[in-house]
Amino acid sequence: METTELKQQLKRQIIEFLNLTDTTPESIQDDKPLFGDEGLGLDSIDSLELIVLLNREYGIVIKDLKEGRKVLVDVNSMVDYIEKHRTK
Amino acid sequence: MSRVFVTGIGIISAVGSTLMENRSALAAGRSGISFAATLSSRYAGVLPCGSIGTSTDEWREQFRIDHPGITRTTLLALHAFSDAIADAGLSDVSLRDPRVALVGATTVGGMCLTDELYRDTTRSCDNSPYLSSYDCASVHLFLQSRYGMTGLGTTINTACSSSANAIQYGARLIRNGLATTVIAGGADSLAKFTINGFHALQILSPKPCRPFDRDRSGLNLGEGAAFLVLEGEEVLAGKEAAGGRAGGKETAGGRAAGRAGGKPIYAELTGYCNTNDAFHPSALSLTGDGPFLAMQGALQSAGLKPADIDFINTHGTATENNDEAEGRAMLRVFGELPPFASTKSYTGHTLGAAGAIEAVYSILSIRHQELYASLNFAEPIEDMGIRPVQVFRQHAVRHVMSNSFGFGGNCTSLIFSNVN
Amino acid sequence: MLYIHHTSCIYPQKELDQPAGPVDNKLMAAEPGYEGIPGNMLRRMSKSVRMGIGAALPLLKYSPDGILIGTGYGGMEDSVRFLNQIIGYDEGILTPGTFVQSTANAIASQLGLLHHNRGYNITYVSRGLSFESALLDAAMLVREHPGSSWLVGGVDEISDHHYRFECAEGWYKEGVVAGEGAAAFLLNDRPAGALARISKIVLRGGENEEVLKSALTGLLDDYPPDLLLSGENGDSRARNWYRIVESLMAPDTGIMRFKNLCGEYPTASAFALWLACNLPGALSERRHILIYNNYKLTQHSLILLERLL
Repeated sequence: METTELKQQLKRQIIEFLNLTDTTPESIQDDKPLFGDEGLGLDSIDSLELIVLLNREYGIVIKDLKEGRKVLVDVNSMVDYIEKHRTK
Repeated sequence: MSRVFVTGIGIISAVGSTLMENRSALAAGRSGISFAATLSSRYAGVLPCGSIGTSTDEWREQFRIDHPGITRTTLLALHAFSDAIADAGLSDVSLRDPRVALVGATTVGGMCLTDELYRDTTRSCDNSPYLSSYDCASVHLFLQSRYGMTGLGTTINTACSSSANAIQYGARLIRNGLATTVIAGGADSLAKFTINGFHALQILSPKPCRPFDRDRSGLNLGEGAAFLVLEGEEVLAGKEAAGGRAGGKETAGGRAAGRAGGKPIYAELTGYCNTNDAFHPSALSLTGDGPFLAMQGALQSAGLKPADIDFINTHGTATENNDEAEGRAMLRVFGELPPFASTKSYTGHTLGAAGAIEAVYSILSIRHQELYASLNFAEPIEDMGIRPVQVFRQHAVRHVMSNSFGFGGNCTSLIFSNVN
Repeated sequence: MLYIHHTSCIYPQKELDQPAGPVDNKLMAAEPGYEGIPGNMLRRMSKSVRMGIGAALPLLKYSPDGILIGTGYGGMEDSVRFLNQIIGYDEGILTPGTFVQSTANAIASQLGLLHHNRGYNITYVSRGLSFESALLDAAMLVREHPGSSWLVGGVDEISDHHYRFECAEGWYKEGVVAGEGAAAFLLNDRPAGALARISKIVLRGGENEEVLKSALTGLLDDYPPDLLLSGENGDSRARNWYRIVESLMAPDTGIMRFKNLCGEYPTASAFALWLACNLPGALSERRHILIYNNYKLTQHSLILLERLL
């Protein structure tokens, strides 16, 4: 899958998985921070949920939150990691 | 307002099914956490837990209970409850008095029947014996029914501080003249539902837990139950006037020599405080604001200064978040910390039962004038440098603080005092 | 003495004077838009959590010293959602959000979070006495802390699973209708400007008639009520309890049954308390009100209040 297409897919998956009913894929810039008030405003429970999303959709295993923090920065970093580590 | 005394105790945990067995384990530094595979879960035998070796069926037989809908949680509660009322010498007749209240606590309730609930929600449930077993109230309602209790009965669920809250609510019922005797406590059993929930939060340790240690890696779940019988000073005075308590038996575990109104008692509940951390649904603020306010409030309610506390039975789950937040909060309250320990290193985290079990251990500390070691500690958390008690020892103990901090930021601190 | 200053309620009716009947034996709550709940929090909430928060939110501006919630069903729907994951993914890697939201204290703790309220915070899960346990706690708190004020609420949603279970157990025969709702109250010890004064709250268990009669006669020593708000729901097994209560009323005590408005659920008495403070039309002239609710035969609650406005 092309990177741009993967980014769009991932944005839709994030919205659906985290039930972000007020958010559209278009409003999530590729380099918009996922966490913190200046970004998408996700929290630590969301980071655990995103780890599950990566596992279920892409077969990726992230051991713990420490490892997760390096991957879950923005859509760019997530897509980068998916492309390198996906097993699905 | 009336003073409130503890006149009976019942407890069952991974380190013992009687008060004496629990105390022996604490004194010997003998943990009940193991890899025993008692749970029907893929994590049984994989994750260490404070499990109790008795099967649910054995307890059904012991208590002559046929109904399959009486869950393991309820049986644990029954075990501790029946010991507590016997210990306090409460007759069956006295339990039926509407002025006797039961305040229970549990987080698991009947959700230990995880597979049964799945079947009942996905297939026909018409002949299921479990339908009214799943909720938290099923535990205390069973006890009320079995003993014919007619007074106030309620259940509290504030996650890990549930039974600590049951104790403070029970004490306040007495102090506000709404009950004369309260049996307060809680129970929780190991459940596939809960172990998966905590696993999803990534806070379970693959090894026996190491509270307050720099290299701690999470908590171990446990199961158990404890109930305290609380009575006000007027009731005890009345009993003295009537010639002592009726029925009951002296327990082998013994009793503090302190007396109030002629009845032997364990300790006095002198302080309590409930606050909310209001930071995050499942984590404490790193400055430990909720715990700080709860400890400070408990001291104020007891009319004590920090230096008056001789021992703290901490919440000490050994998660990265809790121990750091709790440690900081203790330093803010006490400056120089009194001896402290986490007895979850013996029992595991018994969730809804933790507050009551640890209240019992606090009372044992007073009763026997001793401090219990916090197991598996080697190196302190960096930047804090605080070290729990590492060796069991005799020590003068007047006042013990027992802390419970739960999901949802529910924080409760209790203070028990020697009546000698 | 406990004074009610503000009330808020989410319940199944648009008009109390023209109540709508059940659909498929259920009275579903008329939910508001929840504009006051941040999207980030709302997205995770089950119906009972958002109703509880939605009802309580308008009262948080009065800065209560603490938050006390009663809920009978708790987070049953979210519990089952998480349970389905456990089985569906064979205890594999699961999402924790549903587990956290399924905890019974999710309502009270999220209210605390929303308002940075660090005060007393507690949740009662005692089926038909959950709300009353919280109310009694507030009565103690105002005595212990003169001048304090407290937010107390009772919340339950119609959980499809609970409904199925309760049908199987026979609780929805004889015209008994399932309901849901969330009611919240701001309470303190100040008479000035209060809507109502609660003078007695009694909780009893079991099936001993003398215990209920004794509780009632003790209560009615003060003054006889001119309205009994009765939780009678049509279940003939509970009829005797309601007859006992009615037999101890004065001849001119009016009787109003409230469960045709809200349906049957563990914290329906919270709706009854709200109704007592917001009686429509001529009923609002009734000042001294007794609420009696019987939940599943063995849980009894009595709330005695006087309307002041």
